[in-house]
Amino acid sequence: MKSSFITVAVTVLALGTAGGLGRALVAPTRAALRLRQSSWRVDFPDGAAGLVRGGALLGGFRTLAADFLWLRVNVLWEKRDLPGAMQNLRLVTALDPRPLVFWLNGARMMAYDMPAWRVAALGGRAVGAGGVARRIESDQAHLALAWLDAALKFHPASPAVFIERANIRINCLHDPAAAAEEYRRAAGQPGAPRYAARLHAEMLRRAGRKTEALAWLVALHAGLPRNDEAAAADLVLARIRDLEAELGIPPGESYRVQEL
Amino acid sequence: MSFFSFCPRRAGLIARVTLLEAMRQRLPQILLLGAAGLAVGVQGLRGINFGLPELKFIADLGFGGMVFFGSILTIFSGSHLFYSEIYGRSAVTVLAKPVSRTEFLAGKFIGMMGVAALFSVVMTVVIAFVLYTRESTLMQERPELFEHGGRLRYGDIFAAGFAYGLRFGVLAAFTLMIASHVRSSLYAVMASFGVLLICDLQYLAQEAYAHTGTTPLRLLAGLIALLFPDFQVFNLADLAGAEDGIQAEQLWRVTGYGLCYIAAAGALAVFSFKRREI
Repeated sequence: MKSSFITVAVTVLALGTAGGLGRALVAPTRAALRLRQSSWRVDFPDGAAGLVRGGALLGGFRTLAADFLWLRVNVLWEKRDLPGAMQNLRLVTALDPRPLVFWLNGARMMAYDMPAWRVAALGGRAVGAGGVARRIESDQAHLALAWLDAALKFHPASPAVFIERANIRINCLHDPAAAAEEYRRAAGQPGAPRYAARLHAEMLRRAGRKTEALAWLVALHAGLPRNDEAAAADLVLARIRDLEAELGIPPGESYRVQEL
Repeated sequence: MSFFSFCPRRAGLIARVTLLEAMRQRLPQILLLGAAGLAVGVQGLRGINFGLPELKFIADLGFGGMVFFGSILTIFSGSHLFYSEIYGRSAVTVLAKPVSRTEFLAGKFIGMMGVAALFSVVMTVVIAFVLYTRESTLMQERPELFEHGGRLRYGDIFAAGFAYGLRFGVLAAFTLMIASHVRSSLYAVMASFGVLLICDLQYLAQEAYAHTGTTPLRLLAGLIALLFPDFQVFNLADLAGAEDGIQAEQLWRVTGYGLCYIAAAGALAVFSFKRREI
């Protein structure tokens, strides 16, 4: 009895000392890894946590497991099985949150496809008259936006996520001001496509904030390379001229192109 | 012999014999072939990769196979190498000579580590080779993707392989600690797999430690988090795809973490083995 107690005490003391020293030593590395591993999260909904814990045991095989689940999502999508698709979408990203394609395509399913399924289940747009169809579309759009919020935890600097959010805000919620803000955030991320900045101005124009749109485009055009097709400097200049005309700016005060 | 009596030469001889014995076993060869086969064959699974860049997918599955087969190898092989000496009574013969129990266990551990290190090196080279081959093909097929040169950082791949090797070392030390305490090899194997499970899910204890409301549960979770190493920390392959890759500081911190547990589990193995009747 005494011997067992000594063994336990020595074991706890030795491993506890090693653990205390080791944890202090490795804390910064743990923090860096924590950002990249879904398995560290314990707050998954709908029973996904169990799978993620299993995923931790799978190690590198979680990639393969997530791919198989993604196939299942697509099968369920073809069958228009909304609860099944939602459940499996959550499982896929819980298991492997790194691929952007899971988040973006999942958001598109939620925002564009699932409202159509729900309206069809009610008998089509005619039956879901009044505000029902619009409310469903709005609910699904907000679900997709919340989904992309979760994506930002893993891809905080991804312009694609902000662009997807902007698309949903303008196409589903018909809110150009909110879309403008999302495009602006997308344009500020490293590696953002040039069109994000142009679309920010376009959304401002649609929201009636033409002066802001003009100021943005002028600042944008001044820094654009003239020989880069994707930069579309001529297109930006044409939009500047359109806005100047719409705002009634006299020729003497219009934007003058600086040759780079 | 005193507790601290230690001759590196004698421990080295035992380690050499242990390593040679391990090399003669079928299990390490089969597991190595299985893991290497998976790493090479993973290219056939590219068709069902939907999300990750192709090279990352190959690396993930290659290292996944390495961890899976390597953990089995470490536990089974480590347990066998220890108990074969005990059951065959050769430990009695060795310890009757001027060889301390510390030297005996150190030799066994170094031998076990040798097996794990060999496995890790071969697997990392295989994975690096598979990645190199695929990257070369991609560079020919789609040169526009590689305008700034190759995308792979081989230093990161070998650093990740080293971290996994260290993980096997910690697992080997815990296996030896359990084996030096219990009399049944089957029990030691089962208990070692239990430890592996706890260590792989260690982060849960740490999260619970931070989030659980009740004091007794917090204490229990904190104790588990303190006593068992967190094997997620050795998954440096997850950082290999990051923009700044694996930093040297991160590698030495993880190395220090692993060595802390190896030293503690090794000392406990000696402590138990000293008190054991052979």
